[in-house]
Amino acid sequence: MLGFLSARQTGLEDPLRLRRAESTRRVLGLELNKDRDVERIHGGGINTLDIEPVEGRYMLSGGSDGVIVLYDLENSSRQSYYTCKAVCSIGRDHPDVHRYSVETVQWYPHDTGMFTSSSFDKTLKVWDTNTLQTADVFNFEETVYSHHMSPVSTKHCLVAVGTRGPKVQLCDLKSGSCSHILQGHRQEILAVSWSPRYDYILATASADSRVKLWDVRRASGYLITLDQHNGKKSQAVESANTAHNGKVNGLCFTSDGLHLLTVGTDNRMRLWNSSNGENTLVNYGKVCNNSKKGLKFTVSCGCSSEFVFVPYGSTIAVYTVYSGEQITMLKGHYKTVDCCVFQSNFQELYSGSRDCNILAWVPSLYEPVPDDDETTTKSQLNPAFEDAWSSSDEEG
Amino acid sequence: MQKWFSAFDDAIIQRQWRANPSRGGGGVSFTKEVDTNVATGAPPRRQRVPGRACPWREPIRGRRGARPGGGDAGGTPGETVRHCSAPEDPIFRFSSLHSYPFPGTIKSRDMSWKRHHLIPETFGVKRRRKRGPVESDPLRGEPGSARAAVSELMQLFPRGLFEDALPPIVLRSQVYSLVPDRTVADRQLKELQEQGEIRIVQLGFDLDAHGIIFTEDYRTRVLKACDGRPYAGAVQKFLASVLPACGDLSFQQDQMTQTFGFRDSEITHLVNAGVLTVRDAGSWWLAVPGAGRFIKYFVKGRQAVLGMVRKAKYRELLLSELLGRRAPVVVRLGLTYHVHDLIGAQLVDCISTTSGTLLRLPET
Repeated sequence: MLGFLSARQTGLEDPLRLRRAESTRRVLGLELNKDRDVERIHGGGINTLDIEPVEGRYMLSGGSDGVIVLYDLENSSRQSYYTCKAVCSIGRDHPDVHRYSVETVQWYPHDTGMFTSSSFDKTLKVWDTNTLQTADVFNFEETVYSHHMSPVSTKHCLVAVGTRGPKVQLCDLKSGSCSHILQGHRQEILAVSWSPRYDYILATASADSRVKLWDVRRASGYLITLDQHNGKKSQAVESANTAHNGKVNGLCFTSDGLHLLTVGTDNRMRLWNSSNGENTLVNYGKVCNNSKKGLKFTVSCGCSSEFVFVPYGSTIAVYTVYSGEQITMLKGHYKTVDCCVFQSNFQELYSGSRDCNILAWVPSLYEPVPDDDETTTKSQLNPAFEDAWSSSDEEG
Repeated sequence: MQKWFSAFDDAIIQRQWRANPSRGGGGVSFTKEVDTNVATGAPPRRQRVPGRACPWREPIRGRRGARPGGGDAGGTPGETVRHCSAPEDPIFRFSSLHSYPFPGTIKSRDMSWKRHHLIPETFGVKRRRKRGPVESDPLRGEPGSARAAVSELMQLFPRGLFEDALPPIVLRSQVYSLVPDRTVADRQLKELQEQGEIRIVQLGFDLDAHGIIFTEDYRTRVLKACDGRPYAGAVQKFLASVLPACGDLSFQQDQMTQTFGFRDSEITHLVNAGVLTVRDAGSWWLAVPGAGRFIKYFVKGRQAVLGMVRKAKYRELLLSELLGRRAPVVVRLGLTYHVHDLIGAQLVDCISTTSGTLLRLPET
């Protein structure tokens, strides 16, 4: 570490290297810390978490009781012991609260003035953060499993919505109505995700075991269906390609958008090259997945080798993305973990589970160097106050 | 019967170390030395009980570096090793299996050992060790590779059971139990597939279970099976033209008709011969004729062996005890064959204990 610092100082090495090395060290040291807590507000399991991308300070959580809570993650007190307090919440007494479980919440990608939430009550609601009122509501015919808004796009404000029907709907926030429908899947859409690299590329995962990549500007349909066996590509074949041998539950692009991770109910996680849809055949082993709806997992950002954090039963499994090695299992929750998010500024992980808790995993600190002056403390005692009796059992 | 023990334990311990690094904390610390590199020269050794004579395992063991040779049971190099049995006893042998480091310091007990070990590496501190002389047999492949694992596992297949009509089939999950890094195993198998040395076949009972067969074996058996039958011509044409050209698991309609010039009637002949199995409208899996019996025995045997672990007290069994038991009648392919498969498919968890490897059913 000191070598890195001096190399950076003298200009021998890029400053980014020290940052990446230290981020990786911190991620490898993630653990539960008694000094960090998140206030418990939810009365039901927590389905979704999202940290705003602008500052990384505020976190939204959506629960199966329909409640949405906003937390402030920043520690502005001078003490090390800190509980992340809820700034405000949309509780059961709010007139516009969702009637059923909230499945996905997402901050507006460009500022914290707005956020979107979708729920099993077949609606997607757009909220104004400051007044906590709904600015807009989109209604659908089927329950909504997932939605996502592009984090990089400046040219469009489309929200992709995956419902129980086989059609992916794109809702435009500017006009307030559904502008596109993407057809191609055969069963319910369990996860949708925009690419963090290109404005118009969308990935959708469905219960029919298929993952499709779309360019939403193209009228003719999907670009690629991912094939786990990397067979020959031809139009007639597309119907047989499956990404997993079961439902595909979760999707996550890596932070540079070049690779896509998918998890399925066949207990496998696969890494795909997002430009040509090729299965990189990285084998993570058995990644237990019994979730009937979407599984929200996340990838670290800013480390020298990226890590993926996947909820695995009541623990969170950490793997390196490109080599498939399992680093550790983070144990701490009492029931199934449903979602986790990574705060890349401080390398912290927040996870929500069905036991209504949000746990904060923080990097462990360096162990303090023990002081050398223990030997001098004994001589500080005045001989007049020293007691003459021995503490052993024998007399005298 | 004992020759596979070392192969098992090799891979089991390695894989365990990777998957569950925090398990070394309690009571298993036989060495205080932290060994960062697995395949090093002169690893600290721990004596194992009881002795295992594995003369044919030398090529694979050689990977672990400069070993003093087979009979070196008595003297122990390394002052850090604590013996668990009388060191003078000549029948106890070393095995390189337990040369894994355990956390000796209190500091690393909070974090898992593995992460603690990875942290200095992120700062570029790399400790280099010299590798001992590695013996590699070109026929069997480099020791520790997928090729060697496949050759070894082929020995376990009971050829006599099927009267030599079936080529020896090995499962992908069995290869995982011998090669600890799955991604590397997958890539090596894919290379072998591309070179045309092995064929990977979809076994019908589980979409994930892939069977691995040597291409030569496959070809000879299929030709023998279709000898004198009406579909012999179509099968020979298939073996000659399609197999070398296309290394995939499945074939599509247009590929068969246009690229290879098969007529529909010929494709029907192939399905009747058992060489192709229907996957979807217009696509077929490659199959092994006569594999139905194998699959039946395999599925029943797998359930039976899992049942043996399930019925044990606390749902866990020592590997040595499981392999020492009499196989139930249903298990026709051999206990070791099934145990390799269960470990590789992660249907049981492998935990290393002082008495050897323990197989435990996972919680879920």
